[in-house]
Amino acid sequence: MPASSKTITLGGDLHARPAGALAVAAAGFAAAVSVTAGTKSANAKSVLGVMGLGATAGQQVTVAADGPDAAAAVAALIAILADATPVGG
Amino acid sequence: MSQVRARVGIVLVSHSARLAEGTADLAGQVSGGTVRVLAAGGTDDGELGTSAEKIGAAVASAETGAGVLVLPDLGSAVLTVRAMLEDLPGARVVLADAPFVEGAVAATVTAVGGADLKAVAQAAEEAWHARKL
Repeated sequence: MPASSKTITLGGDLHARPAGALAVAAAGFAAAVSVTAGTKSANAKSVLGVMGLGATAGQQVTVAADGPDAAAAVAALIAILADATPVGG
Repeated sequence: MSQVRARVGIVLVSHSARLAEGTADLAGQVSGGTVRVLAAGGTDDGELGTSAEKIGAAVASAETGAGVLVLPDLGSAVLTVRAMLEDLPGARVVLADAPFVEGAVAATVTAVGGADLKAVAQAAEEAWHARKL
């Protein structure tokens, strides 16, 4: 199965609403998707897991996916992270 | 993923009307607010407690064709929910054993994502294992 991953530097803290948006978007893909921040990793489809990462502004976050639509999943989630955690947001 | 498919509805049963309403607001905001999250808190006369009537009305409002997940805040609310369910034979309702706030948020987000009733209940119950720190 194709695998894909991309890393982004957060412009703002990863709060509840972006975590929710991430989990809702991830649910639309067949691929298994993970979000990693520092030493913590979570299933992107679990909103509580994503919130539990405690990812903050300036931190590098990696979205990795494995499955038929892995590349699309990574692109969608990276876009949400970029939009939902703007610098100073 | 079909956009027209019905979503699972969520009913939050609390002894406190304000706790149920606040939790419903939070779950709605975190999830993007595209599923029905109904609060059923307090007694019929506005005191702390639970009301089978309020819960029954909330379940009816939450049902859009995919079933309803009911989350109680404390164990004693379960008795009222069970009594209410006896009056609704055939209703597609699952009672979740989950932390109230975390379970509500996890269930609502999972319902927005289009999951079925079983998966939404599972998401709520997995909240027992979610760490905050």
